[in-house]
Amino acid sequence: MRPLVILFRKELHATFTSPIAYTMATVFLLVLGYTFSLTLFATKVANLNYIFHQVYVLSILLVPVLTMRAFAEERRTDTLELLLTAPVREIWIVLAKFLAALSLMILMFLGSLAYAVVLGLYGEPDWGPIYSGYLAVLLNASLLLALGLLMSSLTENQVVAAALSLGTFLMLWFADSVAYLLPQPFELFAVNLSLIGHFKPLASGEVFLSDIGYFTTVTLLALFLTTRRLMER
Amino acid sequence: MSEGGETPAILAEGVCKRYRSLTAVDHLDLNVRRGEVFCLFGPNGSGKTTFLRMLTGYISPSAGQITVAGHDVVRDGLAARCKIGYVPETAPLYGHMRVDEFLRFMARLRGVASTAVEAAVERVVGLLALGEVVRKPVRVLSRGYRQRTALAQALVHEPEIVVLDEPTNGLDPRQIVEMRGLIRSLAGRHTILMSSHILSEIEKTADRAGLLLDGKLLGVRAIAEVADLESWFLSVT
Repeated sequence: MRPLVILFRKELHATFTSPIAYTMATVFLLVLGYTFSLTLFATKVANLNYIFHQVYVLSILLVPVLTMRAFAEERRTDTLELLLTAPVREIWIVLAKFLAALSLMILMFLGSLAYAVVLGLYGEPDWGPIYSGYLAVLLNASLLLALGLLMSSLTENQVVAAALSLGTFLMLWFADSVAYLLPQPFELFAVNLSLIGHFKPLASGEVFLSDIGYFTTVTLLALFLTTRRLMER
Repeated sequence: MSEGGETPAILAEGVCKRYRSLTAVDHLDLNVRRGEVFCLFGPNGSGKTTFLRMLTGYISPSAGQITVAGHDVVRDGLAARCKIGYVPETAPLYGHMRVDEFLRFMARLRGVASTAVEAAVERVVGLLALGEVVRKPVRVLSRGYRQRTALAQALVHEPEIVVLDEPTNGLDPRQIVEMRGLIRSLAGRHTILMSSHILSEIEKTADRAGLLLDGKLLGVRAIAEVADLESWFLSVT
């Protein structure tokens, strides 16, 4: 575990000394604040459902920016050669990058807790959907980050990595839209592959193990494939 | 085992690396003795970097076996990598870190105990005369200091074997003389395997040299026994 801690600290240092993290957090919280104010005044309903869907969209747009550097930059500058010739397992390198990026996302989500506090102070929100909504955005961020890292491991060009990530996220988002065109069992597969199809129930307070399983499985699969990619020598 | 019965620092047997139709390294056999400075030389594209990358575990051989201090670099990769300090050709460093932060990071990553990290960093900072720049960000370093920092990270865990890919690449004449002195000063305590294509540098730095051409090792000679490296090179190429 020691190499993981060492690499995680290095990744955190890299994340928080880069303007990307601060720019992302600023954009994220500004857009969320705008959405929160607008929906609260328009609907007068004490829930964060809109916020969670806004986080879903923002994550899809911002995660490629966050992950595009991860391996692409290490490859371009040859620092990946330093890491892979040190006595550390590839899985630690992947997990360190994943956990550091997830830490930044969690910090941004923590910033959005202010809206829950406002609702708690001035209204009587149903806390169940709020808890499950935060679980949804966390699981969604994990999945997107893991896929973003996988895309970054495939190329040394950051822009290509970001484009691949965004393309993959959008395909997953709209996977169920093409389902009706497909024969069985592909229709069922496309419906179950849909990101929004698993996000929506969780964000609305309906917690199903199948949805949690979907996010966890895709995340682990993407991390596994990224590790395999690094092990291809 | 080498001739004297001593386990060689590096032993390569029948090593090949193939990329589809291209054979970058072709049935290479090599025995590097403990404490010597051994230089692989040959023209660009002859397979020097590919072999060093296989040795350090960055890429895997297509065939054959490489052992480093008795550890197979594929089957026992982590143990083998613990024994190696490596400076790739481009001397890659993390630009966002300060020199001391980078060296601490590499020391920890290479398994130096937490309590010994500061002493290890101080030792290599002194050895490579990095005191002047130790608090500076890596990205502002000159080429010479970058090369020294890269060498410092390779030495910070006191490895048995130091692998240097074109260590004088891009250095000015003064820096080349300093680097040569540094490499010579490491011999004995460490086994040095380096690559180069500058014949005059090899003559002044190495104890033995191996000529690599089109992925094949054409011969190994002790520098003291070779009257003129250039004539040897020209006679076989």
